[in-house]
Amino acid sequence: MRQEVLRKGEGGVWPWFLQRITAVLLLYGLTVHLVVLHVLNIGRLTFDNIGDRLGSGFFIFTDFLLLFAVVFHGLNGVRMVLLDYGFAGSKRTALDAALVVIGVAAIAYGIWAFWPWLTD
Amino acid sequence: MPEATFRIHRYDPERDGDRRWQEFTVPYENSLTVLEGLFYIQENLDGSISFRYCCRAAVCGSCAMYINGRYRLACQTNVKNLEDAPITVEPLPRMPLVKDLVCDMTDFFAKYEYIKPYIMHESQYPEKETLQSPEDRHKLDNPVDCILCGSCYSSCPSVWGEDNYLGPAALLWAYRFEADTRDEARKARLSSFDNERGVYRCHTITNCVEACPKELNPTEAIQWLKGAAVRRRIFGRWK
Repeated sequence: MRQEVLRKGEGGVWPWFLQRITAVLLLYGLTVHLVVLHVLNIGRLTFDNIGDRLGSGFFIFTDFLLLFAVVFHGLNGVRMVLLDYGFAGSKRTALDAALVVIGVAAIAYGIWAFWPWLTD
Repeated sequence: MPEATFRIHRYDPERDGDRRWQEFTVPYENSLTVLEGLFYIQENLDGSISFRYCCRAAVCGSCAMYINGRYRLACQTNVKNLEDAPITVEPLPRMPLVKDLVCDMTDFFAKYEYIKPYIMHESQYPEKETLQSPEDRHKLDNPVDCILCGSCYSSCPSVWGEDNYLGPAALLWAYRFEADTRDEARKARLSSFDNERGVYRCHTITNCVEACPKELNPTEAIQWLKGAAVRRRIFGRWK
């Protein structure tokens, strides 16, 4: 086996590290979700109550954190799985580009959904 | 004298090219190992059978085979301790075959060489030996026992799926030198394993841990390397 072939596998520390960081953020989000909705059970489930909750700084911060964490964690996980199926060279570049497009679209959609509570 | 039946994987690319099984009956006494059974077959029953061996003492790693559905060293596998009959002897699964029980280990050793398996110095080599505390030496007790038999490499699904993945053995050796306080390789070795054909291809399946005839733990070593790569690349802590 030629050593040049082995040298082609560049990068990897950031995707691996951020996958762990986002996993911790997901645990944080899950904890907040369970505590707020199932333990504290803040307010009745009405549109106004939920709107008020979504408009608070804490929930905007938490929800945006979750939005970025979920999108990154999910798509990076898909990428890790697909890389095991022989995505290399130009196929890998195309895969990365497709995942970035999907990620940006998902985050833009998430921001759009939050927009009314951000601008109020 | 009791007899054991050996069911052996045969493959000769120059004759038939097909894989087939052949059975041999071998008389044995208490201490017969599978490797000695193979010697008996080669000397008395069929001289064309091919297999690798060298030290006969579980030190060189040449005679790793898949015996009765497990990775074992033929030289340390006693026939009387094998429960299933016949004794099925296969080459290391999913390795390129040369003949009968002999695998092509070229890629395996190229990957081992690639991680620079030796102590490196950035500074001048010292005139006297580099001292190391007993505690620091104990960290290496486990990986230095690796005999490069290839069992872990053969058992790893990530190796099956990616030809260029370095595999558990090479990465265990990378750990052996990275964890060594005398080593100063820094980026010279880091770039060889800190990539998607290195440590990040390991998904902690732990087949390597089960397969290792020396009961080592390459998976744990690879996780240590992942942490070390983060410490060094992202936080700039080199030791």
